[in-house]
Amino acid sequence: MTAFLRRALLSDYFVLGLCVVYAAAVAPFTPGFLSSENLTNILTTLLPLLVVALGQTVVLIAGGIDLSATAVIGLASITGAMAMNDETGWLAHSPLAAPAGVALMLAVGAGVGACNGFAVARWRMPPFMVTLAAMMGFSGLAVWLTHSKNINALPAAFTMLGGRTAVAFAITLAVAVLAQLLLSRSLFGRWLYAVGHNPRAALISGVPVGGVVFSAYVVSGLLAALASVLYTGQAETGSPVLGQRILLDVIGATVIGGTSLFGGKGKVLWTVFGVLFLKLVDNSLNLLSLSVFTITMAKGAVILLAACLDSARARLGNP
Amino acid sequence: MKTKLIAAFLAVAALFAGCNKKSDTPAPPGGALTIGVAFETLQTEYWVAGFEAIRADLKNRGHTMLEAVADQDANRQIEQVKNFITRKVDGIIMVPKDAKTCLPAIKAANAANIPIVLFNRPADKSDARSVAVVADNFSLTRDTVAYLVSEARKGGKKLKAAVLLGDLGDLNAIGRRDGFEAAIKGNEDIIEVVARIPTEWNQEKAQAGVVNALQANPDIGFIFTSSDFLFPSIVSALKSAGKYHKAGEPGHVILGGFDGDATAWQMLQDGYLDATGVQDVYFEAAKSMEAVLDLRAGKTVPELILDPGFVIHRGNMAEKSAQMWGARMSAKK
Repeated sequence: MTAFLRRALLSDYFVLGLCVVYAAAVAPFTPGFLSSENLTNILTTLLPLLVVALGQTVVLIAGGIDLSATAVIGLASITGAMAMNDETGWLAHSPLAAPAGVALMLAVGAGVGACNGFAVARWRMPPFMVTLAAMMGFSGLAVWLTHSKNINALPAAFTMLGGRTAVAFAITLAVAVLAQLLLSRSLFGRWLYAVGHNPRAALISGVPVGGVVFSAYVVSGLLAALASVLYTGQAETGSPVLGQRILLDVIGATVIGGTSLFGGKGKVLWTVFGVLFLKLVDNSLNLLSLSVFTITMAKGAVILLAACLDSARARLGNP
Repeated sequence: MKTKLIAAFLAVAALFAGCNKKSDTPAPPGGALTIGVAFETLQTEYWVAGFEAIRADLKNRGHTMLEAVADQDANRQIEQVKNFITRKVDGIIMVPKDAKTCLPAIKAANAANIPIVLFNRPADKSDARSVAVVADNFSLTRDTVAYLVSEARKGGKKLKAAVLLGDLGDLNAIGRRDGFEAAIKGNEDIIEVVARIPTEWNQEKAQAGVVNALQANPDIGFIFTSSDFLFPSIVSALKSAGKYHKAGEPGHVILGGFDGDATAWQMLQDGYLDATGVQDVYFEAAKSMEAVLDLRAGKTVPELILDPGFVIHRGNMAEKSAQMWGARMSAKK
């Protein structure tokens, strides 16, 4: 393999380069693709996906996976809405409705994450099975609590968090910066990579493997709940099935960015580029008015390609 | 290496060059319009029929259609409507995921001064401005169930009934439930409702619900479903219980539905189905497009345009089949 290709594949900016090439190829044939309106639309839809993908990144680095993220989005959405809504909410019309609602949503996310983390770290259960069971159980709970009904009449102070792009951008930027500091500048971050790379070696080296894995799932749950704040704000409705269809996008975007499914490797920047690439593909195919089946097949092909690239990069990095 | 990269770039570009299709139909007077059509799903025959009816109507008028299907994701649907706004469409026809989550999308269209018409599902009352073309779910269900009750009276025996309810976040489901209850009211001497099965428009839940209802009440003799697309689940449950018989045969369970799909048409022809309320999807598609044109022309359009539909049963199926979308779909196969 040529040195150029090797350098390109291993570069931090490989996926960003893909974004630029893709956008340049698509723009001449996609009306409105590079308009300021469309770029704003891409940004608006990208932000909540990035937040939940950052949580997924943390778990993947630790060598696990979190399939329950979408269930957290739905459960947090209706829990917050039940508390905050102006019609039947426990905090209806209270000035504390929005902050208390957000706190409750984050608590729900952290709680689900803690359940997952406990099962994986303490009981040594396979992450795939634990989080799959959590996805089914908690999404069913959300539907049961609301009898499938949506909840609207949410306070404006809450809906603006996701509904106003500038506010959502500020929140997402803060999360990305914190995640970057956590992963690159903290002891916890070093432990996380060590556990994902080789949990036995990490344990022998004195890393509290159980605590690190537990914390990774709590972070993932928290960030899924924060994404729910943004999604719920955009939809102006608490919905038990919110985000139900985006699991493939979450994991796909994270892997496209370069975070390894095998653990021990991942960066905030990579996830940002991965989410951007997936959103560019999604948006361009939508603007071209292709059928949803074509879009789904195209995205599936892109994610499969990303998984192959991940495998290639893993081999290149370990000759 | 550079040559290979350029070739790959050109290949990707060529792939998308063919995607932007233009209409071959001559432009109508006033120019061809571009209409964005956003559906929540194409998972049932009704939605496919509605989608194709709108496509055919637009083609006949010489307009271009941009399509988007949200795959039951409310946030995706908002994004798709905003993409239509970016494309500066002349009008939007949308099937909302539900009555509440469509409001941000409608508000975005209002802000862009693009007329938006809701197909088959209305929005909740709010300051978001739209026109909805919907079936008169209440009246059509009431009339369909009234016919079924009259069939039950001919048997002279009081029957136990089960009703399959839709997703109660969908105003259509609520209308049909209310229509069912209205038809039953006053006929409790002949019909006793023993099971109200919540299906959330899900076939697996419908089947499980009917199986449970038949286990608890093996003598159920009357079943109404809020949508014909749940019939395969009902038929499977009835067959398992040994209760799937044609009209006139001993043990026939009076069956009724709503929508008028190809399955219902086949069951009517075979003698298993007694009646179904048919949504006139062609009427709804035409009225949706007329509403878009009238809104563009600045005319006053009522917020709700009702499709009266019609009840089809074995007594009138010969004359009504031409209007039934399920019968027409069957004929095409």
